[in-house]
Amino acid sequence: MVTLTIDDKQVSVEKDATIYDAAKAAGVNIPILCHDKKLKPFGACRMCLVEVEQMKGRLIPACTTPVTEGMIVRSSTPPVEKARKLVLELLMLNHPLDCPVCDKGGDCELQNLAYDHKVNSNRLADEKFHHEIDYNNPLIERDQNRCVLCGKCVRICDEIVARGALTFISRGIETTIGTEFDGPLSCEFCGSCISVCPVGALLARPFKFKSRFWAMTKKKSVCGYCGTGCNVTLGVKDNKVLTTVYDENQGFHNGQLCVRGRFGYQFISSDKRLKTPLIRKNDQLVEAGWDEALALVAERLKGAGSAAAALATPRMTNEELVLLKQLMTQQVGSQNIDHSAGYGHAAVSEGLGKSLGVAASSATILDIQKSDLILAIKTDVYETHPVVGFEINMAVKNKGIKLQIISDKRGKLSRLPGANLLLNKPGSDVALLNAVAKVLLDENLAVTPATPELAAALNDFTPEKVAELTGVAADAIRDLARAYAAAEKAIILFTSGLAYPGADAQLAHAAANLAILGGKLGKEGSGILALQEKNNSQGALDVGFVPGQGGLDAQQILAGCSAGSIKTLLIAGENPVVSYPAQAQVKKALDAVEFLVVADLFLTETAQMADVVLPVCSYAEKAGTFTATDRRVQKISAAIPAVGQSKPEFQVYGELISLLGGQPAATQAEAFAQIAAYAGISYAELGEGGAFAAVKLQPVQVVPKVVTVAVDAGKFALLTGAALYHCGTMSLYGEGTVSVCGEAYVEISRNDAAKMNISEGAEVKLTSSTGTVSVKARISPRMSEGVAFAPYHFAEASINTVWSGAAVTGVTISK
Amino acid sequence: MSEAVATTETTEVEEPVIDLALAEEVIQKYKDIPGNLMPVLQGIQDAYGYVPRITVDYVAERLNVYPSQIYGVLTFYAQFHLKPRGKFIIRVCMGTACHVLGAERIKESFYDRIGIGHAETTPDRRFTFELVACLGACGMAPLSMVNDETYGKMTVQKVDEIIKEYSSLPI
Ligand code: SF4
Ligand code: SF4
Ligand code: SF4
Ligand code: FES
Ligand code: FES
Repeated sequence: MVTLTIDDKQVSVEKDATIYDAAKAAGVNIPILCHDKKLKPFGACRMCLVEVEQMKGRLIPACTTPVTEGMIVRSSTPPVEKARKLVLELLMLNHPLDCPVCDKGGDCELQNLAYDHKVNSNRLADEKFHHEIDYNNPLIERDQNRCVLCGKCVRICDEIVARGALTFISRGIETTIGTEFDGPLSCEFCGSCISVCPVGALLARPFKFKSRFWAMTKKKSVCGYCGTGCNVTLGVKDNKVLTTVYDENQGFHNGQLCVRGRFGYQFISSDKRLKTPLIRKNDQLVEAGWDEALALVAERLKGAGSAAAALATPRMTNEELVLLKQLMTQQVGSQNIDHSAGYGHAAVSEGLGKSLGVAASSATILDIQKSDLILAIKTDVYETHPVVGFEINMAVKNKGIKLQIISDKRGKLSRLPGANLLLNKPGSDVALLNAVAKVLLDENLAVTPATPELAAALNDFTPEKVAELTGVAADAIRDLARAYAAAEKAIILFTSGLAYPGADAQLAHAAANLAILGGKLGKEGSGILALQEKNNSQGALDVGFVPGQGGLDAQQILAGCSAGSIKTLLIAGENPVVSYPAQAQVKKALDAVEFLVVADLFLTETAQMADVVLPVCSYAEKAGTFTATDRRVQKISAAIPAVGQSKPEFQVYGELISLLGGQPAATQAEAFAQIAAYAGISYAELGEGGAFAAVKLQPVQVVPKVVTVAVDAGKFALLTGAALYHCGTMSLYGEGTVSVCGEAYVEISRNDAAKMNISEGAEVKLTSSTGTVSVKARISPRMSEGVAFAPYHFAEASINTVWSGAAVTGVTISK
Repeated sequence: MSEAVATTETTEVEEPVIDLALAEEVIQKYKDIPGNLMPVLQGIQDAYGYVPRITVDYVAERLNVYPSQIYGVLTFYAQFHLKPRGKFIIRVCMGTACHVLGAERIKESFYDRIGIGHAETTPDRRFTFELVACLGACGMAPLSMVNDETYGKMTVQKVDEIIKEYSSLPI
């Protein structure tokens, strides 16, 4: 610790603190412009100048100068004030000062600083900038005239996002912020640059002229897309969500969001929202009242027993899932409940459930930056859970944490400094993990001895044998095993969900075995973290929204519909027609079932087939809890009133329970209290940032079954997955996300494209044994020859017409 | 990563076909040296006469740096050229001494004859024209240069001679 004096206040801080940090600790406010607590010190703007007794004769930038023992700092002497005023005058010399029409007005640091320092006139005069405003993309407006060259956008896009879309161009007076060859932004549209820009140089286009900053109420919430569980602040005016508002102190992620969280909010107040219940009459869905609709549903469910079933989306709150489960199992008498097509949660429910003794991850997202080594299985995490990707970027770039990757395609992660990629053939992940485990045993690197069963099973997985199967050199496998064993703390990550059938129970077993053998469970910075798809995927498992004793799973439910044994199906928020594999079979099942009820925000492809459609609320209109993928339980409350006549599902299923003579939990707190996994957490006391539910590990070595996937010669190995810009099918109703990624596509390697003479953006046909779909080709350096990747979100060219749920599908690609 | 890259790029009108093998050669030379971005870019400029856009993408991929970052470097240093350059680089000094002795007229004369202004290149890529600050030989003002050749005490007539001379050389 170092002790110093700032404005006559004594303060003790860590020895690597800066004067700025120390001042903050002492409660002294030093103005900053280019400094950001999330970024490395930069020292460009000179707003933070202070006087230091020991360094007389010049002014010292507080944000970059380390503290020393006995330092005497003065933060607002006349020379300091004068210097700051000059800095501001210089900044405003060429700045347009078009505050009346600038969306940053009221939230602008330049405005605030000018106000604080009473800069009401300028002693200098010069021409204003006249740079052209960049409107080359639908989401981010870049107005260099307002730029103060603080470099925060450049730095955040590099240091945290690892995208590097922006850079300083030219030098001296001509310096601007721009892109390569002044072209359009090549960008993830995470909006991080917008959020840190202190002025109106970077603005969110969808929000332009929607509201003055101060006219909005800011409502805290939790992002409704993926399992990361980012906290968001919604900007609300006239009962509409108009934007997301950056708050650098919000959440473990310090306000960082991805494109979905930042720009995908428009679905909430979308015109396409369902406003009233719909009932099919004369083969037409017509508007109806809630009473009629619910009475009809109740009548169908009454006494239906196991002829009824429910599929729910893990986007619902825990409390809603509790009620829907109660409705089905107690009032209706059916154990046929499931979510995520069943296999979408198998990695955690069955895989970790058996291997760790609890259907949850052992590690949390916070462990990533505390680890020594990250083993990422598939690189997709930066696309499926972009903000977790940021954590990895920071771990690797700022902390030098080692990154090992096992993946069937390259990606942003494999470009991080020092990242080591084992590029394996599609579908060979489990064999590869087994081989790593085998090396741990053979080289006496295992901390926990293997059970005889596991040891015996691993005999078939020598690195040499597996090398051939996976296309990864035996030595690379050995090196990975050694690195994993040598790391004091190591965390294994993998993505799971609807589009990742390869992330199944077997993969989870194989990964868990590594952690068990390597002695990496149960300590900080170590363990296994499954990155589950939806915002409440973990909650759905904790509530137990899975088939009960003797109940059917999702696939069996659909088969039951086709076979006629399931007569009433309630689908809450899932969109199987687009997101479950084998579209033809899904449609057949939904056609066949006698009575289909769909509760959703939109008239989805699935809802269009329903007999009754119930309009329900988005996360912005309801209360309850979501459980992030690392078992962080977080509370939300309504930011706006329900849209149209839509109702929160908590109310809908509560009413149905009552109609069927049951007793629903009266409040969210009451329903929450019924979730055994959350014993010890009080709903009422859940505050910002939530609370982690306990995970009690009982590790068991399970022998994974290895199924080798072979694709016929001459065919492409088609991998399915998620696109960075989307999550499930809900983001297709978020205009922002669609504006930058609105169409289905397939990624293929440059060599394959050249061979088939396919150019970027060309329409190609994918054909598998189950069908054909036309999508746009993208030529991508990520792909290896013979491997193709297609995201699954798009209804127009739904990939599930060619994909029937296999981890790898053989397809032909033709023009 | 050893990815084959398409070797033609048609986005820039005048950009010729680029053989990336040259770029790869340069990269190979500096591959294992830390801080190799500057020498690689200089090597590329030497190999192609300028830094073609496609080589930027290629270097970005091979050295694992952002294309934007390379562009930042290229625009920071005046030595880099992003457009194809002529075989003969005509430089006209606009420094004080040369200015006083009529550099403006020399500039105009060149413009009249080859029709290009500062930092431009003729479509046949024979000439690139540049205005520069003091070339350090004020005694010979007004001064011009063609590649490494210096021409002192320039006159309109000399401009004609220079153009004639270099127009007859092969390109
Ligand atoms: S939106 Fe994100 S990826 Fe795009 S330039 Fe800004 S920080 Fe970089
Ligand atoms: S655009 Fe904004 S964040 Fe980027 S340098 Fe300019 S003022 Fe700073
Ligand atoms: S989609 Fe996921 S990563 Fe993106 S902001 Fe929402 S919770 Fe965070
Ligand atoms: S805030 Fe310290 S130099 Fe910019
Ligand atoms: S001014 Fe032209 S050479 Fe010096």
